[in-house]
Amino acid sequence: MDIKEVEGLTAQALSELAGAADGTALEGLRVKYLGRNGLLPALMQGLKDVPAADKPALGLALNRFKTDVTAAVKERKAALEAGTRPALEAGFDYSLPGRWPRQGRLHPITQLIDRTSAIFRRMGFVVADGPDIETEYYNFDALNTPPDHVSRDLGDTFYLPGGLLLRTQTSAVQARYMEQRQPPVRIVCPGRCYRRDTTDATHSANFHQIEGLYVDAKVSLADLKSDIDHFARELMGPAVKSRFRAHFFPFTEPSVEVDFSCHMCGGTGCRVCKQSGWIEIMGAGMVDPNVFQMAGYDPENVTGYAFGMGIERLAMILFGIDDIRRLYENDVRYLAQF
Amino acid sequence: MKIPLSWLKEYVDFEDTVEGLADKLTFSGVEVEGIERLGGGVPGVVVGEVLGIEKHPNADKLTLCRVNFGGPAEMTVVCGAPNVAVGGKYPFAPLGVALPCGITIEKRKVRGVFSEGMLCAEDELGISDHHEGLMVLDAAWAPGTPLAEVLGPPETVIEVEITPNRPDCLSLLGLAREVAALYGTKVKVPDTTLAESPPAVEKATSVVVEDLTDCPRYTARILQDVKVGSSPDWMKRRLEAAGIRAINNIVDITNYVMLECGQPLHAFDQKLLAEGRIVVRHPKPGEKILTLDGVERALEPQMLVIADAQKPLAIAGVMGGEHSGINESTTDVLLESANFRPASVRATSKKLGMLSDASYRFSRGVDSELAEFGSRRAAKLICELAGAKVLKGVVDVRSEPRKPQTVVCRPARLEALLGLSATPEDIASLFESLELKVRRHSPEAIEVEVPSFRGDLTREADLIEEYARIYGLKKLPPVRPMATIVPGADDKPAQAQARLRAVLAGLGLQQIMNYSFLADRLLDLFDKDGAPARVRLANPLTAEHTVMRDALLPQMAETIGLNVSRQVSEAAFFETGRIFRLGPDGRPSEEDHVAIGLFGPVGRTGLDRFRAVDEQEMFLWIKGLWEQAAAALNLRAVKLRPADRPWSAPGRGMEIVVDGAAVGWLGLLKAEIAKEWRIHEPVGLLEAGAKPLVKDIATIHGLTPLPSYPSIRRDAALIMGLDVRHERVLEVARAAAPPELEKIELFDIYQGKNLGPGRKSMAYAFTYRSPRGTLTDEQANGFQQLVNAALKAQLPAEIREG
Repeated sequence: MDIKEVEGLTAQALSELAGAADGTALEGLRVKYLGRNGLLPALMQGLKDVPAADKPALGLALNRFKTDVTAAVKERKAALEAGTRPALEAGFDYSLPGRWPRQGRLHPITQLIDRTSAIFRRMGFVVADGPDIETEYYNFDALNTPPDHVSRDLGDTFYLPGGLLLRTQTSAVQARYMEQRQPPVRIVCPGRCYRRDTTDATHSANFHQIEGLYVDAKVSLADLKSDIDHFARELMGPAVKSRFRAHFFPFTEPSVEVDFSCHMCGGTGCRVCKQSGWIEIMGAGMVDPNVFQMAGYDPENVTGYAFGMGIERLAMILFGIDDIRRLYENDVRYLAQF
Repeated sequence: MKIPLSWLKEYVDFEDTVEGLADKLTFSGVEVEGIERLGGGVPGVVVGEVLGIEKHPNADKLTLCRVNFGGPAEMTVVCGAPNVAVGGKYPFAPLGVALPCGITIEKRKVRGVFSEGMLCAEDELGISDHHEGLMVLDAAWAPGTPLAEVLGPPETVIEVEITPNRPDCLSLLGLAREVAALYGTKVKVPDTTLAESPPAVEKATSVVVEDLTDCPRYTARILQDVKVGSSPDWMKRRLEAAGIRAINNIVDITNYVMLECGQPLHAFDQKLLAEGRIVVRHPKPGEKILTLDGVERALEPQMLVIADAQKPLAIAGVMGGEHSGINESTTDVLLESANFRPASVRATSKKLGMLSDASYRFSRGVDSELAEFGSRRAAKLICELAGAKVLKGVVDVRSEPRKPQTVVCRPARLEALLGLSATPEDIASLFESLELKVRRHSPEAIEVEVPSFRGDLTREADLIEEYARIYGLKKLPPVRPMATIVPGADDKPAQAQARLRAVLAGLGLQQIMNYSFLADRLLDLFDKDGAPARVRLANPLTAEHTVMRDALLPQMAETIGLNVSRQVSEAAFFETGRIFRLGPDGRPSEEDHVAIGLFGPVGRTGLDRFRAVDEQEMFLWIKGLWEQAAAALNLRAVKLRPADRPWSAPGRGMEIVVDGAAVGWLGLLKAEIAKEWRIHEPVGLLEAGAKPLVKDIATIHGLTPLPSYPSIRRDAALIMGLDVRHERVLEVARAAAPPELEKIELFDIYQGKNLGPGRKSMAYAFTYRSPRGTLTDEQANGFQQLVNAALKAQLPAEIREG
């Protein structure tokens, strides 16, 4: 036995395999060459009679014989099967409806809370929470709302027996959080709020807000602007910008209203932004010194910013929802689209 | 508030377009909500009178109108407006006129008939978006009168929204001060020099103020020989552009001056006043007043009235009375310019449901130093426009005037708060542009005296805000946003709740969201006994929303009902939300809950979904869903105990127990309740506290090593009574089996005639494994015999081995 002989046998085997007409013939050839009593074991057996010097080369040749023939068997088998498949499975219909248990979905409001929270988390904020039922102190007093402010009216706020109320803003969480911790504070508070509004296409007596608060030794209005700019880009798209308009809130000074440039038209004016190119998104400002004082912080040593926005409003803008009531109607055919 | 621009320009100069002005005001805190253009007309457009109308021969919706427009001949015009009428007067564009909408009028055929001009709608004239029909003009105008004459001179009106902290801006002068600061110009204050005549006012009247807290200041001037008549056109036009109806010169002047400087004024006919004098007091019991709007109002003791020697004349700061006002025969006017406590006016105005321009301003606060200015200004105008003479001096009753406030602003603080740097000189000069008097300034501090009209500026932060908004918020320097980690702050509870929602959605449930309040009726359906502990709204808005929910399931069932009524054939929902209850101490508490609702063939895939769902199957789905959720949430030691709820079908309710504590319930909805929404198929429900479900969310309970030896399986079919439950089989088998029994799996249930009535066959696979070596067939057979013997004797059951 020498290398030439082995190579000749390899060529012969490959040629026979290529000609195998069906599975039976192929199996016969496999047994003939690779089977327990086939050619390969016989040749391996013969290797022990070969001179030591020739052994490595011949061993390699026999190995090549084995791998080549094995691969050829596999290849021919696949080819034969591919050719016969349609005949074997005539009833197969790939177009039948697929079967797998359904996947559920989160409510669009939850989706937006998660999305906004995720952006702020990446910026180092943590999510904080507080009760829906609040005291006048946390909902109003601690936020520097004057005792006779209109927002405290029975016409605007839902009251409960015992001087309690349903929080009208998630800012109430800020006051609670600051009371329990020393600065720095960097939180967002998503949550449910209530206002005594007659429900219509754009108002809901029960709604959600997300509130942010950052307090540290040196936080400025310019920091607020750059952080909000970042949030605007992350939420609405890389081209979206924010702008500040001076405004008034009891709990911040200075106070601003924040517009985002319209994500639909890029600021040129369209139906979504009512032709203005800008959409009002949130209220914000620098935390009023009185709010710090009530929380037990020294306004001489810390500054901070706060912002808040309505989730339903954001959902309507981002998802193109025309009527806020759809969000609480819970028709599965509507919700499943988000 | 509506601001006619030509009027504003009387008090301040600025070089800008109206849009530019609107932009500057809006960004500095006075939001411009709209810009409206009035008057002006279109060159060439005149009044046209329609003399006759005929049908267009070739078009149903068109008419042929003969129009007289003051020209030498009548014109025939094709018109499509629905509101055209014979004798009507409309804007008419003759041939050759170019309209703002882009049309130039030419003689041309419309459906075969020549049209010689055009009758116009408002949008075609660029007056508004209105296109419902022709613009109808007053019948008094002669045909041919230029439209510009009809509409008056052009005027631009901006509508502004003033925030509650800036009552000083509820006037043209206040706004002019803002404009002056924004454009670096000066306010031109109107002249108030009076040519007074004897005798002194004190001879003619007197004022007593009984409550100087509610009325810190009351001034009265007397004007005699007043000729009441109509105001000049320029004044009427300005008032109307600002949204106030012109009445007569005296009332108009009080309104004009209020708009001009912000001081509400009231003019009394002094001859109608008992003893001709004023008493400011609280009403006596039972006193009433007929107000200017013709309504008789009962007065309450805490309100404040302006009275004469006998009777109330006006409700202070809210509205005047019917019987003391200016009328055609008035000759002597007592001019009130006063100040009232904001909270008092607000309360009275609210109580009576009366809102006036005066009460709006007083509620927000009027500068008490303004009373004298407003009075002088109005008196001067009454002298000029109503031929009156003003008596010498003024009766001025007041509490101690407030001392001028001084506030300090430190540039370093300003820089820290705003993130922009400014020199002390820049800051001082900006403050001066707002009419704040700079008392002293150094690199460390700028001290200013705040004018009386800026009562909102009491602290350093207020001054810093002034700087920011006038300097320009658009000019804040860009800063790189920085993520800042606060050591020790985490939000694991929020993450756990998010994980819970993700698990439930992953199990195929759609999240829903219902209101936190609802009506008792729905809650009662599910648990009547819970009613006393419910948290009630003290001031509900509607009868639908009166009480806080004490459970999530009622709305869950209602939501399923809504979907069923809309032909939705299956629903798998979850809701996470808060429930509210009164504790034993009567204080409300709240708790996060989770609810699940299933309806229809939700647990099946493919064509199986078209078979009806029975109670057993629905029950197994809600139970299986719970088991899956519990596993995904890493809960161990989870048990279900049979326990019916008021809402569950008898024998179909289970209590959920985690680590020995009851955390919720699951089961099937009672048919009587399901009927409410015409649901006639099984509904699976679950409600539990959310906190106990997420307690192990981040726990790994210790790992079990993978087995080293193979297992061996033995099957057995048990034929037994229908009343023997699966759990009993497990119990008996486990008790009898050696520790090598690894698991028991049910793989078939069968009921059939061949088994006989009341019998069933349940087939189980028993898996055995030893940690010490491979089990032999003989060993496995031995184990199974032990199990079989126990099952046979204790269930009892007949056994067919597999």
